[in-house]
Amino acid sequence: MKSILYTLFILLSSNLFAQIDRSVMPKPGKAPIININDSQVFTLPNGITVIVSENHKIPKVSFDLRMGSDPKLEGRLAGLSDLAGSLLLSGTTTRTKDQFDNEIDYIGADLNADKNSIFLSCLTKHVDNGLLLMSDVFLNASFPEDEFNRIKKQNESGLMAAKSDAGTMAQNAISKINFPQHPYGEVMTEASLNAIELQDVKEYFKNTFTPKGAYLVIVGDLSLQEARRLAIKYFGSWSGPESYSNQTESGQKNKGDRVIFVNKPGAVQSVVYITFPVEIHPGDKNQLPLTVLNGILGGGGFGTRLMHNLREDKAYTYGCYSRLNITDNGSWISAGGNFRNAVTDSAITEILNEFKIISSEIVKDDELNLIKSSMNGDFSRSLESPQTIARFAYNIIKNQLDPDYYKSYLQRLDAVSKETVLEMAKTYFKPYACNIIVVGNEEVLSKIKVFDADGQIEFLDAFGEEKKQILPSDISKEELVERYLSAVTMTKTAKERTKKLKKVKTFVRITDLSIPAVPIPLKRTEYWLAPMVEADKMEGQGMIFQKSYFDGSNGFKFDMQGGNTPFTEAEIASKKLSYGLFPEINYAKNGTQYEVLGIENVSGKDCYVLKTKDNTSETFSYFEIDTYLKVKTISIEKDGDKVQEATSTFGDFKLVNGLLFAHTINFSTEQVNISGTVSKIAINEKIDLKDFKE
Amino acid sequence: MYFRTIEITPMKKIFLSLILVNSLWGLKAQKKIDFVEYDLSNGIHVILHEEHSTPIVAVSVLYHVGSKNEIPSRTGFAHFFEHLLFEGSQNIERGKYSELVEKNGGELNANTSQDRTYYYEILPSNQLELGLWLESERMLHAKVDIKGIETQRSVVKEEKRQRVDNQPYGSFFTEMFKRVFVTHPYNWAPIGSMADLDAAQEEDYVNFYKNYYVPSNATLTIAGDINLAQTKKWVEYYYGSMPKGQALNVYRDFIGLSDVDFEKRYGLSKTKFDAKNFMGSTQADAKKLLATYASKPIEIKRTEKDHSKIDAVIKDVIYDNIQLPAIFMGYKFPEQTHPDTYALQFMNEVLSGGPSSRINKTIVEKKEMATFAFSFNYGLEDAGIGIFAAIAAKDISLDSIQFEFDKQIEMIQNTLISDDEFMKIRNKLENNMVENTSSIEGIAESLADNHVYFGSADRINTEKDLFMKVTKEDIQRVAQKYLTQNSRVILHYLPKEK
Repeated sequence: MKSILYTLFILLSSNLFAQIDRSVMPKPGKAPIININDSQVFTLPNGITVIVSENHKIPKVSFDLRMGSDPKLEGRLAGLSDLAGSLLLSGTTTRTKDQFDNEIDYIGADLNADKNSIFLSCLTKHVDNGLLLMSDVFLNASFPEDEFNRIKKQNESGLMAAKSDAGTMAQNAISKINFPQHPYGEVMTEASLNAIELQDVKEYFKNTFTPKGAYLVIVGDLSLQEARRLAIKYFGSWSGPESYSNQTESGQKNKGDRVIFVNKPGAVQSVVYITFPVEIHPGDKNQLPLTVLNGILGGGGFGTRLMHNLREDKAYTYGCYSRLNITDNGSWISAGGNFRNAVTDSAITEILNEFKIISSEIVKDDELNLIKSSMNGDFSRSLESPQTIARFAYNIIKNQLDPDYYKSYLQRLDAVSKETVLEMAKTYFKPYACNIIVVGNEEVLSKIKVFDADGQIEFLDAFGEEKKQILPSDISKEELVERYLSAVTMTKTAKERTKKLKKVKTFVRITDLSIPAVPIPLKRTEYWLAPMVEADKMEGQGMIFQKSYFDGSNGFKFDMQGGNTPFTEAEIASKKLSYGLFPEINYAKNGTQYEVLGIENVSGKDCYVLKTKDNTSETFSYFEIDTYLKVKTISIEKDGDKVQEATSTFGDFKLVNGLLFAHTINFSTEQVNISGTVSKIAINEKIDLKDFKE
Repeated sequence: MYFRTIEITPMKKIFLSLILVNSLWGLKAQKKIDFVEYDLSNGIHVILHEEHSTPIVAVSVLYHVGSKNEIPSRTGFAHFFEHLLFEGSQNIERGKYSELVEKNGGELNANTSQDRTYYYEILPSNQLELGLWLESERMLHAKVDIKGIETQRSVVKEEKRQRVDNQPYGSFFTEMFKRVFVTHPYNWAPIGSMADLDAAQEEDYVNFYKNYYVPSNATLTIAGDINLAQTKKWVEYYYGSMPKGQALNVYRDFIGLSDVDFEKRYGLSKTKFDAKNFMGSTQADAKKLLATYASKPIEIKRTEKDHSKIDAVIKDVIYDNIQLPAIFMGYKFPEQTHPDTYALQFMNEVLSGGPSSRINKTIVEKKEMATFAFSFNYGLEDAGIGIFAAIAAKDISLDSIQFEFDKQIEMIQNTLISDDEFMKIRNKLENNMVENTSSIEGIAESLADNHVYFGSADRINTEKDLFMKVTKEDIQRVAQKYLTQNSRVILHYLPKEK
């Protein structure tokens, strides 16, 4: 019986299966009605515009306070506003940072701040405690010095990490190139970070965080009445200066295509962006059709032209997109992705080609319908978040849009035609000149040159800074060396100098080294015996890792992997040219090849650049223009195909027996950064070189 | 597909994803989530949650298969399938699956972990039937053929190159799991080995589909602006009608095999079956064969819980394309259903939840030893892992960071946490749970997870109570029990020398 039932059941379900025609895609039901609730708006006497969007789905509220000022040029302090933003929650005059963090975490709230806003989100039941803390920030932020120093140090590490991140390097280049002399084109560098002082941060805060022109967007589980009460209670008594307004120009247009290259040694992929500024403001009637155009090109999800061409068709990449950024202070488009070195040039050709096609031919119905449906869906789905509704209200007020701007969004989207899309491309893309940004390996250089209108590739560093420009020098190489020697020996004439230096018979310098990733302390000791004996060792934990010894005509070097190796002919020749405490003293008479290249700016200070050269290496030495002290050297050693670049910087100059010596010496190559602090310099001490006897 | 998410990679993302990891643990509560659930006759578990505040609907299918179900010579299969199942089906042209969703105003995504493969669509609510049809096509007769396999193989390789190999510290998950789970299949990461994928034959892929992509291994969850009665009807229509037991795979072979091969396997020619109405084939031999196979259930091979311990302190150095060195320490934690899970999560919040947490206050802020430092728990079906991680600040040694981590660990083991800290964590967890009910997709996913891995979808409503039972003494006890200093993995990431 059971099995009969079983079979019957099988038959029944089979029958069910039989009636199904799975080959037919289901039809949609009646389109749901989309409601966008109105937000409430009122102003406080101190100038804050308050926008309230009630939503009682979950028992939470959020307060988003946004400043009304436009961004300012920061110049040599580039990055100041970001730094100030990250310091905003570092404590107040009433709470230390620890107390502050603890109180926020205690109510399980989120409180974030950046350069021009503060955001609070918490359970409705904790709203008073949350607002007490939030208002403490804009009323009493104290910017303690130790936090300032800590955040600066953290940024230093961040800048260091940025140098290995091709994506960041590309973004920096995009900003710099599209927006020169514009707040968007300012990127924090090591020099600008170094130049920022606590007082600058405090000034920034005082001028930027003001109720005048500010917006407060309140979203969530409270009534309008309650929102009003809270706004008055916590924000009403705040006062401050007028907000700053600045009609920034849109980005810089080119005459022809420019290729901008950022070197990332060893890269296997190039990060490529084709980018240019677009002249449009938020709320412009063309914003929506232009967004549709970008969607078809590469801004949509699937089936965009860039994805189809460069990924599906050519398999050059895992993803290729275009992004259209429309903001109050400037707008731009960028299109690109990551491409294998070998196809970097082909990828550029294809992306440029897609720009060209979309600007000259009408798009297909399919494409247009796909992007419209997709944007329709994005819009509808975005309404799930109460923050969306608030954002709409904010945009309407901030950009003075039609009050029904979002209510009519779907209608307006539906009305965008193929012809309008082409018109958008012609208006905004054509005639265009592109910036072609490539971050990658130098091996791609020769192939991307053709894309540059004048054939001159521009080179930027990781932070979008132009590779340094060199100005002509006003003194000769002999004068430079002379002034340097005078400075370090504290003498006025060559005769006086010779006499002084003659008295120096021996020299010992001990430097304590710290190397990231090497946990043990290292010590370097250098010896010099007049006139030409030199020895050098590096040790740690009782072991000698490296040493070298030169007796004036011969010598050897030693390291733990290779053991002892005698100096080569070339090394001996190089030693003989460059010896002593100040090798420069002999340049004029021993035939060293040297020349002054000019004046270059190094970390904010002008320096003379002196180049010396021998068979295997070139060295660039930098002498500060106002002190003539040598603050930096870059040496480039060539060994067959291998090129090793090393940078040394010198600081903390102090007198020892009437001579000036640097007491901090940092050494870095692509692989390692070594910081050195000189712990001892001794002159005319008895020297024991038994460590160096073989 | 370019938006798959299997592994957590760059550091900033890791930091952000902690919030996600937390949310996996700190699930739901506050407002009660109502739902209905039932099984279809072929074993599909269905969960429905009705909520009308926005006119959208989430349709999701959780397959109880992840990388831990792979065999060691065929790693990466589960994740690979996640890609493959976007290729199309019997009724959906190759490459059109995602386009259909987009064209109809929806979005879709999928992800693969060690324990599960999860697919979902979010659609305007008038497109619910489309979503159900799409997922049923995937479950019944997806395109598992050599053409799709080859396309997706190259896409997965690009994905690995971009997301794992070329990401600073990107390999740490793989390296850590390899050492913490020596005998359990958590040993390898979901991305798997590209060599294994290359070596696999079409048949390996077909078998994986037949073994794991079956109704009895699937949980279908629908949440949002739905009508319950209508939804149940559509579910029965598209899913209830799928063949039971092994009959499903007979149907798949009927589509996929040549006549000769089919006859060789089943002793019956394909011509005996009705191609248009396969399960309704009237020929007696065919009917009998289908009935026989329908009565044979598909046995899903499950893995064992892993209660083994890490042998000793396992220390390794990994060289990567990075500027700043980093340290990662891993401890063996229990499986996510273990009662200690809740206290462990509390413990992690004390150590690393929010700016005022102990690790952030000491290692990042006071001592300035690291640019990022944090810990997190990663709970899985068969075991868990606790990870401590820090990226060193410039010129700080990894050993000194480890020393500080160890000090924090000793402190939480030796001293009860303060009342203030305890209350703080409770408040924070409450906030998290409220936040997590804010999207219907989040609710759908949580319902499915709770059903499959915790045996009760209603845990979405009761989890809070489990957290609220944790005491300060529990936190100290689990810290002593699981943060075992003589049994852990320590990885140092150092800049690669040229």
